[in-house]
Amino acid sequence: MADTNKLADCKEGDEATLIGVDDEQLSVQLFCMGCVPGETLLIERIAPFGDPIIISVEDSFISLRKEDAMQMTVKKK
Amino acid sequence: MEAETLNETKHPFKIEDKVRIVLVGNPNSGKSSLFNSLTGLNQRVGNFPGVTVEKRSGNFKVNSQIKAEIIDLPGTYSLSPRSEDEQVTFDYLNDNNRTDIPEIIVVIADASNLKRNLLLASQLIDLEKPTILALNMMDIVQRNKQEINVEGIQKAFGIPVVPMNARIGKGVDQLKETIANYKHQKIKKFVDDHLSKDALDNTLVRYRKIKEIVQANLKSSGESVTAQMTRKFDKVLTHPIWGYVIFLGILFLMFQAIFSWSTWPMDWIENGFLVFGNWLGDTLPQGILNDLLVEGVLAGLGGIIIFIPQIALLFTFIAILEDTGYLARVSYLMDGLLKRFGLNGRSVIPLLGGAACAVPAIMSARTISNKKERLLTIFVTPLISCSARIPVYTLLIALVIPAEKQFLSFNLQGIVMMALYLLGFLAAIGTSMVMKYLVKSTERSHFIMELPIYRPPRWKNIGITILNKVKVFLFEAGKIIIAVSIVLWVLSSYGPGDKMAQVEQKYEQIKNDPTQELTVNEDQINSEKLEASYAGHIGKFIEPAIKPLGFDWKIGISIITSFAAREVFVGTMATLYSVGDEENTASIKEKMANAVNPNTGEKVYTKATGYSLLIFYAFALQCMATVAIVVKETNGWKWPILQLLYMGALAYFSSLLVYQIFA
Repeated sequence: MADTNKLADCKEGDEATLIGVDDEQLSVQLFCMGCVPGETLLIERIAPFGDPIIISVEDSFISLRKEDAMQMTVKKK
Repeated sequence: MEAETLNETKHPFKIEDKVRIVLVGNPNSGKSSLFNSLTGLNQRVGNFPGVTVEKRSGNFKVNSQIKAEIIDLPGTYSLSPRSEDEQVTFDYLNDNNRTDIPEIIVVIADASNLKRNLLLASQLIDLEKPTILALNMMDIVQRNKQEINVEGIQKAFGIPVVPMNARIGKGVDQLKETIANYKHQKIKKFVDDHLSKDALDNTLVRYRKIKEIVQANLKSSGESVTAQMTRKFDKVLTHPIWGYVIFLGILFLMFQAIFSWSTWPMDWIENGFLVFGNWLGDTLPQGILNDLLVEGVLAGLGGIIIFIPQIALLFTFIAILEDTGYLARVSYLMDGLLKRFGLNGRSVIPLLGGAACAVPAIMSARTISNKKERLLTIFVTPLISCSARIPVYTLLIALVIPAEKQFLSFNLQGIVMMALYLLGFLAAIGTSMVMKYLVKSTERSHFIMELPIYRPPRWKNIGITILNKVKVFLFEAGKIIIAVSIVLWVLSSYGPGDKMAQVEQKYEQIKNDPTQELTVNEDQINSEKLEASYAGHIGKFIEPAIKPLGFDWKIGISIITSFAAREVFVGTMATLYSVGDEENTASIKEKMANAVNPNTGEKVYTKATGYSLLIFYAFALQCMATVAIVVKETNGWKWPILQLLYMGALAYFSSLLVYQIFA
């Protein structure tokens, strides 16, 4: 799909729908924390040097590293 | 049909007078609030067999007839384990061998975050064991102007649901009632395993189903108030500049408070032990037992208890920061930096804790799920200057740096003290950076962490946390320190052959000789006895090895004895330099300052020796308790021995370098 991005490429304040997660182990972890394909992610914060980042799903806030965000495919809103 | 009968026999359920409650829930779901509110102080902290995961258990009364024991399992997001903590939860729940008394799983869910929390609940239901769902944080649901149809959820899940606010104890009585009246009924599986092949698929199927249930049973009007408030706080507290400024400010205040507030209780403890020791020494009949008890056991015990005020204060701060949700933000702020050194945002807690005492600090590394990052954190934490180094630093700095000396109009003594702390921190991250390349790991490093919403601290929980931490420190470190104190006491009280007896005889003669004018100082005898003891012989034996560092055999003895704990250095020095009052550092200082090498006539404590010794104590792993805790936390001797050797070598060569520069 042409209009998909990696979460790591999003900017602070962006909203995006999670499409999928490449790494399987990572996806299990993320799914359990409510980061499920189809949910809307909001990029809340990006730390200096771009790593780590804070996203929110529904009303939970999750911090993750850039390399994890590279595994997450999203569709920007 | 077959499955049904199997389940009936596997879980015969009837509460007579005893029941076991197994508490499970997401991190930050209020699990410990519920646990504390059920048990009060009627709880114990131990370890799960074979692993280093903290096990909290306790007792409470369900009603006048039924007694309950309760196990608090480590927080987990799902039943697909990713850390040691979660593995424990998984294993405990899947163990079907506990059949002594009926068991009920109480799964606690944060109702303000329903979808995610119900995922774990749905997995627990599929274990087909008696389960109750506690919907916690109903107050937040209310504040966010949401409404939950509890009955609807109960129907959808097929298990009893109890709404509550564990923070203030609301709903706890209803939970007890539900436990007492629990009727065994066959639980309908939430998701049939046959439908979904792998864990991922299974989770997604569950999620879809939960989403439908939540949509049908949760009425929401507009934005969440608590999430908005958390965003407001985070605007400042996780800000790329202000976030760090505030963190440094909090850190500064914290250490100021720890070191200044703890002085008073530490003085009381020190004096209390002195008075008690003297009293015990005078009261008990003289002899070996008296010496062993007063100089060995009691001295060792005093050496541990004196650190309790600092440890308690440090953990008070850490507990407050954690309970309010701020500590997770600190981990977020620091992960970018610490990652470069092979550590993890969560390493912040052990590295901070290391400034008070490495023992509880190393224990707090358990929350790091990546094995390599956890190991590295454990490995470098003892390099952070702990409070046991303070008496050593204080004595040596006072000895080699004149108080009036200034550097850029700052007191030079203070600058050296700060430099030592900085040196410890730099050594820690430097070591970690090298280790990062040496330790192989196939495990991918993740730093996925939930940032809980900001909340006011729960003082009762904090109080209980501190109490538990102090207890663990006292017993874990205490056992070892007392044992080593006894060994060291033996080494310094007995000597090879009749050397010790000879010293005593010599002074006996002088005392009885009326022609001798010399008054014999009791401490002079002790000092000579120590020289004749095994410890003295070891000191002399190692002297050639430590001479290049500028140390003589007396320092050698002190290094050996202070292996129990660093602050023992001061006490041993006091004895060696036969100082009357052991508590008076000033006079040890004077004696040491005046000490002269009998062969060369030069002063023993030159600037070079002083600096060399300071560096030695900054780096060397002079702490039995740390070794013991690392053995426990890494499940073996490999890492503690490597750590001991590495830190020893680092200390030796750094001291060598420093001495050669200044000599």
